[in-house]
Amino acid sequence: MLKDITFGQYYDATSVVHKCDPRVKILLMIAFIVLIFVSQNMFSLAFACVSVIFVLLISRVPIKLFLKNLKAIWVVLAFTAVINLFYSNTGKVLVSFWIVEITTGGVYRAVFMALRIILLIFISSVLTYTTTPNSLTDGIESLLSPLKYIGLKNAVHIFAMMMTIALRFIPTLIEEAEKIMNAQKARGADLENGSLVERVKALIPILIPLLISSVRRAYELAEAMECRCYNGGVGKTRMKQLTLSVSDLYAIIFIAVFTCGIIGLNIIF
Amino acid sequence: MDNIIEIKNVTYEYTEDEATHIAVKNLSLNIERGSFTVILGHNGSGKSTLAKMLNGLNKPTLGTILVDGINTLAEETEIEVKRRVGMVFQNPDNQLIASIVEEDVAFGPENLGLPPKEIRQRVDSALKAVGMEEFVSSTPHRLSGGQKQRIAIAGIIAMEPECLVLDEPTAMLDPKGRREIVDTLHKLNKEKGITVILITHYMEEAENADRVLVMNDGEIISDGKPHEVFQNVEMLKSVGLDVPQTTELLYALQKNGFKVNTNVISVTDTAREIKKVLEGV
Amino acid sequence: MAILEVRNLTHTYSGNSPFMNDAVKDVSFTVEKGEIIGIIGHTGSGKSTLVQHLNGLLKPTEGNVLFENEDIWENPKEIRKIRSKVGLVFQYPEYQLFEETVFKDISFGPRNMGLESEALENTVKEICGIVGVKPEFFEKSPFDLSGGEKRRVAIAGVMAMKPQVIVFDEPTAGLDPKGREDVMEIIRSYRKATNATVIIISHSMEDMAALADKVIVMNKGSLYMFGTAREVFSHSDELRKIGLNVPIVSQVFEALGLNNIPLTVDEAVEILKKRVGDNA
Repeated sequence: MLKDITFGQYYDATSVVHKCDPRVKILLMIAFIVLIFVSQNMFSLAFACVSVIFVLLISRVPIKLFLKNLKAIWVVLAFTAVINLFYSNTGKVLVSFWIVEITTGGVYRAVFMALRIILLIFISSVLTYTTTPNSLTDGIESLLSPLKYIGLKNAVHIFAMMMTIALRFIPTLIEEAEKIMNAQKARGADLENGSLVERVKALIPILIPLLISSVRRAYELAEAMECRCYNGGVGKTRMKQLTLSVSDLYAIIFIAVFTCGIIGLNIIF
Repeated sequence: MDNIIEIKNVTYEYTEDEATHIAVKNLSLNIERGSFTVILGHNGSGKSTLAKMLNGLNKPTLGTILVDGINTLAEETEIEVKRRVGMVFQNPDNQLIASIVEEDVAFGPENLGLPPKEIRQRVDSALKAVGMEEFVSSTPHRLSGGQKQRIAIAGIIAMEPECLVLDEPTAMLDPKGRREIVDTLHKLNKEKGITVILITHYMEEAENADRVLVMNDGEIISDGKPHEVFQNVEMLKSVGLDVPQTTELLYALQKNGFKVNTNVISVTDTAREIKKVLEGV
Repeated sequence: MAILEVRNLTHTYSGNSPFMNDAVKDVSFTVEKGEIIGIIGHTGSGKSTLVQHLNGLLKPTEGNVLFENEDIWENPKEIRKIRSKVGLVFQYPEYQLFEETVFKDISFGPRNMGLESEALENTVKEICGIVGVKPEFFEKSPFDLSGGEKRRVAIAGVMAMKPQVIVFDEPTAGLDPKGREDVMEIIRSYRKATNATVIIISHSMEDMAALADKVIVMNKGSLYMFGTAREVFSHSDELRKIGLNVPIVSQVFEALGLNNIPLTVDEAVEILKKRVGDNA
């Protein structure tokens, strides 16, 4: 069901992670992603696992919400694992049939790659669950602000505004899509059966109303923004100023330890 | 009299399918500062067009509109007009910009370029004024229609407008949400002295207004206190409107030879009116 | 004869997610052929979840829905067949319009049922006659119509499947008084032409009192009351306890302290006439 997609939704709680500056969180997430990719052996990956789980726990977001995000991408996960299973032919042969062999090396690789993806999903979910979409946007805007000096001032603002609105309307549009789907099903539309072509065709009665309503929403939103004195962001101030706090210091120390750990374990083993 | 809005001989024309339509016809109207006005009219009677002219979203084809003495046609004072006359629309979903309540309410004051501290104060006091202070960090998506609409109102109040224009803010709400909104508007009107102009299809929402206007074909065809306007049952029905069921009852009784006054609206007053007749017999 | 029966229906939304939806708990009722049933209750009382079970859009977690004494989930592969027997008009149905012309859009439902060429055309024309979609609208784009006309076309789109039971989820929401009256008229004409059973979710106690044979009151996912309109609206205190009320005209008579409580203005006038007559 579309409703099961919770990725990109803020979870309200009080935790060190929630308190961190969005800029620090974005940079840390990027660092995490890079480091997860550079961890080359089981030891450094295990260390990454422990660190990610540590972050999940201190974020105070229910673990099942993270697991739910995995459910949404299990196909990708399974696909990656299977490809990697056959990719490597090192180690002992476990199973062999026709021209395919599954080796211990393959199994190792499959688990390794799947774990990496899981960690990536987890760590990026931490960012979206603990950061309100708007402060995320503020963070990105602030990080991109050096671009202003090369004449892209307006572009940065427009990008940030687009992100804000997109994040705000994703749940609304998902709900709307579901309503339209149900309405067309009630008129006898068959969305589940038929050939690929038929199924694509069956989407038209859903996509057209969705498109039309999005245009209507966009128009009404533009009017509402105008009524709230929006004029393209000229002279705009912010209620929430981004300031670094103690939590950010902890976060930076944590990532330093994490970086050293991964690199150290990569070198040692 | 101190008028917040003065409309002088205003006409609004628009072109659709190569034909010119007149949405508002040579209309003149003053809105007193601090008053509570309800505008009734069927779809296409021109009330939305009129509403959008009050804060300069629509510009009159002919005539002038002064908001606090400022002409809405003047481009350099556009923001001044919008700051003074805030607008709330029908669909709360399409008015909320941010995914967190407080950030949404802050949008207006941020656009006005106010200092962060003042924005914070205004956001908190606006949320309090609409009774939504406990939802300060909720996501609008999880709120009920009535609550969302109150957030939309808070977003306007935070700009500290003189006047609030609401274009069918209750059309998509359930009775509970409708009551929440109407109560909130009366509270803002009484406590903060904000002028309220409420456009609605629900006759009972006009009950406690200072003044009711009825629009039809771009013109005002009735203007007065709620009980005065609702006395014209036949006229209201002829322009596709309705009357509160209390009025309908009194009117039906009158038609059946009962000597009742039809100039009351509330349930208690109606009951008292009928009691008089019963006891008189 | 019972046309629709709901037995101990419970619906819990999957995987107790923190983002919850309205559930339905152990609801049972029977709808007789030709009845008009009103459903009242707050937003979030489970009304919308409940009605989506009647045409198989949702599958009960527990319990059954029977159409003409047969469980609609007897053969899950055939569930689509029930959709033409129990029509469901959602809130703001005009948002589902998608075809280039009004005629094509109204044909969507019957075409999905397998109707073709002449039979299809006749059915659509017949429905348009009943609900008042004028022939000059047939070739227009549905998006060029006014709000009220769009709703008329959208409702016709469900009626074109000729359902024996038709369910409306707040059919008059967002319309002006004239538009509301038009929709009620469409429902009456369809009923007159087809003898269909009608189920309406509404927030208007006045409409329900004037229209419904029986009223279902939902509260927090459970069936709070079920009976004739007169029975249900005689429990004004219980209704107020859950934030609902009786029609305004009934409230006036309650305030008068009379025992004979009318449901409509006409009834009220009759009661008072009789009283005055008796006294005289």
